[in-house]
Amino acid sequence: MTSRWEAGFPLVQVREKLRRGMALPLAVAETARATGQPAAPLLAAARSHADLVAAPGATRVCRGTSCELRGAARIAEALSGNGPVRSVHCLGYCHRSPAVLSANGGVFVDADPARIALDFGRPPPLPSAPRVGSLASEPIVTRRIGRGDFSQLSKARGDGAYQTLLKALSLGREGVLREVERSGERGRGGAGFPTAVKWRAAAAAPGDRKVVIANGDEGDPGSFVDRVLLERDPHGVLEGLALCALAVGAELGVVFVRSEYPRAVQRMGEAAREAERAGLLGPRLGGDGPPFAVRVVEGFGSYVCGEETALIAALEGERGEVRPRPPFPSERGLFGRPTVVNNVETLVNVPWIVERGGDAFAAIGTKHSNGTKVLCLDAGFGQPGIVEVPFGLSLRDVIQDWGATSCSDSELAGVLVGGPMGSFLTPDRCDVTLCWAVLAQRGVRLGHGGLVAVPRDTDLAALATQLLRFVATESCGRCVPCRAGSTRALELASRGVLENAAALRSVLWLMRNASLCPFGREAPGPVETLLALAEREVQA
Amino acid sequence: MTDHASIDGRRVALAGDESVLAAARRLGIELPALCHLDGEPPDGGCRLCVVELAGAAEPVAACHTALRPGMEVSTDTPQLRELRRALLALLIEERAPALRADPAGSEVERLMHALGVPGRGAASTPDRSHPLLQFDAGRCVLCRRCVQVCAGVQGAFVWNVVGRGGEAQLEFGAERFADSACVGCGACVDVCPSAAITDRDRADAPAPEQHTRSTCGYCGVGCQVEIGVASGRVVCIDGARTATVNRGHLCAKGRYAHAWQRSHERLERPLLRRGERFEPVSWDDALGFAADRLDRVHRAHGPDALGVLTSSRSTNEAAYLLQKLFRVRFGTNHVDCCARVCHASTAHALRSVTGTGAASACYDDIELARAIVVAGANPTEAHPVLGARIAQRVRAGARLFVIDPRRIELAGLAQHHLALRPGTNVALFDALAKLLIEEDRFDHAYVAERCGGLAALTAHLHGLSLDDAVRITGVSLPALRAFALDLASHGPALFVTGLGLSELTQGVASVKALCNLALLTGALGREGAGLLPLRGQNNVQGNADMGAAPDLLTGYQPVADPAVRAHFAQHWGVEPPSAPGDTLPEMLDAAAAGRLRALWVQGEDLAQSDPNQTHVLAALERLELLVVQELFMTETARRAHVVLPAAGVLEQSGTFTNAERRVQRVRPALPPPGEARPDWEVIQAAAQRLGLDWRYPDPAAVLAEITRVAPASFGGLALERLEGDGLQWPCPDASHPGTRRLHTQGFLCGRARLSVVPFAASPEASVPGYSLTLLTGRVRDQYNVGTMTRRTALSALAPCDWLELASEDASALGIRDGARVRVASRWGGIEVLARTSDRVTEGICFLSFHHPETHTNRLTGPQRDPESNCPEYKLTAVRVDVC
Repeated sequence: MTSRWEAGFPLVQVREKLRRGMALPLAVAETARATGQPAAPLLAAARSHADLVAAPGATRVCRGTSCELRGAARIAEALSGNGPVRSVHCLGYCHRSPAVLSANGGVFVDADPARIALDFGRPPPLPSAPRVGSLASEPIVTRRIGRGDFSQLSKARGDGAYQTLLKALSLGREGVLREVERSGERGRGGAGFPTAVKWRAAAAAPGDRKVVIANGDEGDPGSFVDRVLLERDPHGVLEGLALCALAVGAELGVVFVRSEYPRAVQRMGEAAREAERAGLLGPRLGGDGPPFAVRVVEGFGSYVCGEETALIAALEGERGEVRPRPPFPSERGLFGRPTVVNNVETLVNVPWIVERGGDAFAAIGTKHSNGTKVLCLDAGFGQPGIVEVPFGLSLRDVIQDWGATSCSDSELAGVLVGGPMGSFLTPDRCDVTLCWAVLAQRGVRLGHGGLVAVPRDTDLAALATQLLRFVATESCGRCVPCRAGSTRALELASRGVLENAAALRSVLWLMRNASLCPFGREAPGPVETLLALAEREVQA
Repeated sequence: MTDHASIDGRRVALAGDESVLAAARRLGIELPALCHLDGEPPDGGCRLCVVELAGAAEPVAACHTALRPGMEVSTDTPQLRELRRALLALLIEERAPALRADPAGSEVERLMHALGVPGRGAASTPDRSHPLLQFDAGRCVLCRRCVQVCAGVQGAFVWNVVGRGGEAQLEFGAERFADSACVGCGACVDVCPSAAITDRDRADAPAPEQHTRSTCGYCGVGCQVEIGVASGRVVCIDGARTATVNRGHLCAKGRYAHAWQRSHERLERPLLRRGERFEPVSWDDALGFAADRLDRVHRAHGPDALGVLTSSRSTNEAAYLLQKLFRVRFGTNHVDCCARVCHASTAHALRSVTGTGAASACYDDIELARAIVVAGANPTEAHPVLGARIAQRVRAGARLFVIDPRRIELAGLAQHHLALRPGTNVALFDALAKLLIEEDRFDHAYVAERCGGLAALTAHLHGLSLDDAVRITGVSLPALRAFALDLASHGPALFVTGLGLSELTQGVASVKALCNLALLTGALGREGAGLLPLRGQNNVQGNADMGAAPDLLTGYQPVADPAVRAHFAQHWGVEPPSAPGDTLPEMLDAAAAGRLRALWVQGEDLAQSDPNQTHVLAALERLELLVVQELFMTETARRAHVVLPAAGVLEQSGTFTNAERRVQRVRPALPPPGEARPDWEVIQAAAQRLGLDWRYPDPAAVLAEITRVAPASFGGLALERLEGDGLQWPCPDASHPGTRRLHTQGFLCGRARLSVVPFAASPEASVPGYSLTLLTGRVRDQYNVGTMTRRTALSALAPCDWLELASEDASALGIRDGARVRVASRWGGIEVLARTSDRVTEGICFLSFHHPETHTNRLTGPQRDPESNCPEYKLTAVRVDVC
């Protein structure tokens, strides 16, 4: 396995060759020779990643929920005369949807379907950063992005970046682990798995050359805080990752950033290089620590690679598919090495936790939910943006007070919380306390904390169909219920959601009960809610 | 903490890291699991093995859920039944319109029947472009079992899933299946649950009525097969799942090349030559004629006028009886077999270095090896099942070192490939040994404890120059150094060798020089290391073991030793002659010179396979009696006076011995056609005609005698002990478990000898006027002289012999792909089709010898190794011209 580790990430090499104009089969053949792996499976794997088979120079139209609600389909239609167009989920500009990413990296926001084809000829201005706020006594995750752009190392260090890491070198592995354990932090990516449990398992796993991965494949359409963190506080991410590496004894770090966030890829790459040049990363972590190399890897256009086993599979040069667990990545992850995969927001919390102590973190929030959670409010709210809230607040209050939107039937059909695999909450159900225990009890999936406002007059059946299209497009294809079920469900919905309600429900039931991973298990939730609401509307 | 769980209310003890699926199956509870393969990591895709756990909100898949203490599992509830039905219905509707519920159909169709999923049974068109396998996309349920075995067992990576989500499809990487990378091992067919991939040989055949476990009759790997017979014909051959040798895996030859058995060209009656024609006669007349003529020659010209060649294709029992017959009845030691023309050099060298002329290692050492050296062998073509195991081991992390003039398939996986000039092994190995010693990277402790001759070897190597080695071998000094140092770092290695070492004028020297490397790195007698010469024929090891050699009796007992002869006399009633006889090439020389007048050839086609064909044919022409036991009218049989129809491997009973010294059962799956008879019976009948009172009731009785004449090697063998996986010799007594690995406790000869072997260039090297070097050998889809494989569907994959040329040579000579060319050596000339190949390097060409009309061996010459008498097939100076 050593040789594969040293050979690097095959699909990264394939993409580099594609970008130099090489055809896919040749790019794969050369990569296979260089990495010593068989070419045929690598070619098949490459062909399962959207970016590697997409026409070069394609315009990417965001088809995330927020953009869909605000005319993405018409934008795609309007741009179809301007060369190849791809639909992607999502570009992370939900606060200014709809959004389009041109082949040369220009981002068009607040796109107007009637004008976009005309505007497209000119480079767009850089979209302004979203409004960032905090309802916590002090911001943790947003402590830098709330105040500006800290992507430059000097500016980040001026704001305290890496100070915790330097202290932690003397604190030692156990010291870091202890603080993270005490903090009770749970993963912010959606699953809510206790961070320290993963770390402890990887630290205890036999074997050297462990790996830590920052999961910057922020998937759930509706959430965009990771994009902003990667772009404006990349050193916060790297410091969190380095602390994780210190705690588990890893010598390789990967920051996996979705290709739909080109600016984040660029900023993150620059930040890692700058930190390495400054001697903070590389041969000696923090100057006199153990070796820790960081590689920033751009994703390959597969939504499912936000799932940790699929992310690892993609890095290994395989199809971006979920693998059954066990083995968990903390035992056997990247190239068989013990691996911790943490979401970006999760990692940005870590320097604060280690600096201020796990107890201080645990003191924020509720008994079962420590710290804060970042919520992202899309353009459908009166005041869109990013808000960090301590656990324990009511969702309705956040929407009304910070989002400046009346959480009532007169304004909203509901709020899609946590993306297409989250929950669709009608205004009356928004009275929910942000706390893992309450959310679980109420059956609300917070996901990564994206909130999409669904206006009162929205065609809910059409929204359900859009969500199914997302699932069918992004299903990895490994398990039968998700792959065949989402295709079948989309087909039924396209022929008429209400007319085929019974058949649709039974397919959704199958997906929910039998799918391999949360993608297929949780995607039916919002669709079922929308289906019931649409039926009620008809009856009313 | 309990150590029990329950499944459907039944208590089940926890057993290690077991999945719920495995535990349920242990209880006899069958759960559908279309994507699951025992021994492979769970795939988790089909979801049909869903079960409910008490206290869990949602069902889980049994295949990737570990059984935990106290777990309460339900496998059969109304919800699960509906989930499974709905899942299967969804799957079939999604992608397998050709399937329909059928209680007698494929695994999926039976499941459809059981779960109430009718299916459509729509028409679909399979891809039938490949002669061995066919693929029907309309039956594929995308379970990926084929993907797993093709990658994990054969390593061909033919099957892959392409496309995301609902667009995911199984692909084979080509427009037509015939153009895929498939090597025809059939492993995917065995695991396909929906008969989407099927064997063409059994597509229209009736279902087998009976299965017979036996040993494959092609190469020396010795794979265990299950032969399916229906209506008096072989309808299928499958790998035996439990066999330690092949674990259910086979190659295309073993699985599909059986149609020869029912070929209308089979010899079914004894034939006597009448002028230019053959006349069918009774066995009595044929054996009577042969016995008469043998006796006449014997009486008139003495024992030296008779010789015999046993068949490496036939059983140990047949070989034993035939050598015994000639030694006992005619007092001749002119006894040999085709081991002479393949691994004689290897056996000779190993015997002189270690005391035992056979593989020190066993196949399981492949999976234990940290480093593997493949020298002069091409296992992925000639021994495909072992080739696949070696490749898998390398993919799993072992270092691979290849020494071969050609870019064989394994060279593509190797960390080091030394493409030496043909015939320069000794110079190469000496250079490597010199580097190991002079860089002080050899195993001092091992050498001090177990080897002799270090001082002499060191002195010899000291006198050699690495620059000379570079000049002779054509391998650069950095490549040599990197190889030697890497070998020292990653060894001890498993040395897998082939005829590229043995079939040279320096054959013995090549193997001895390689043994130096093995000894210096401490490889012999260690796990995952040692020497593993790959034997070419199913029972070439056994023939040598049985005493089919002019100087050695059964069990490698020297005929020159009076005590040995006395021992044999006790069992045979007659003492074998004392003077070692002629080797096979010497017998042919003697025949050509008129000294050898009668030759009995059991199942060997000398006229096609032996070198310097013109000379061989002249020798055969001069014989007063040539008796040939054969399946078909081969080139040799055509020249016989008596042709005896033989039973083939599928029709014989007895034992074969494979390349890891494993003696395994051969069982008849069906009777031979017509009047053809098993070899051992024919020899016994001949002996009786010659007045010997032989009364062996069956092969078991012959084996019993073998155990008595060679107790040190075979004393513990008995047919009933060979059920299952057989036994590896030495196996001296009835309680001995057999010997997986030789030399673990020391060498039979005391200390192993490090050999001083100076390099000597072959007489075929740099012959003026003959600018190219010809190597001959086999290709994957034919077997040796093709007697059997040419009469099967495999012939479509390799319908003729091709001269493979490097593109540089082809363009220099103005040869286009597919052109007919004249190839000439100093010994003869032929015309053959040529094509360029990146497998050969400039100056080297390759030609197989599978088709008689090619006459490949008109080109090969009279050169032999002086010690082993093994001919030089691997190096002939030739010139090539466009016709």
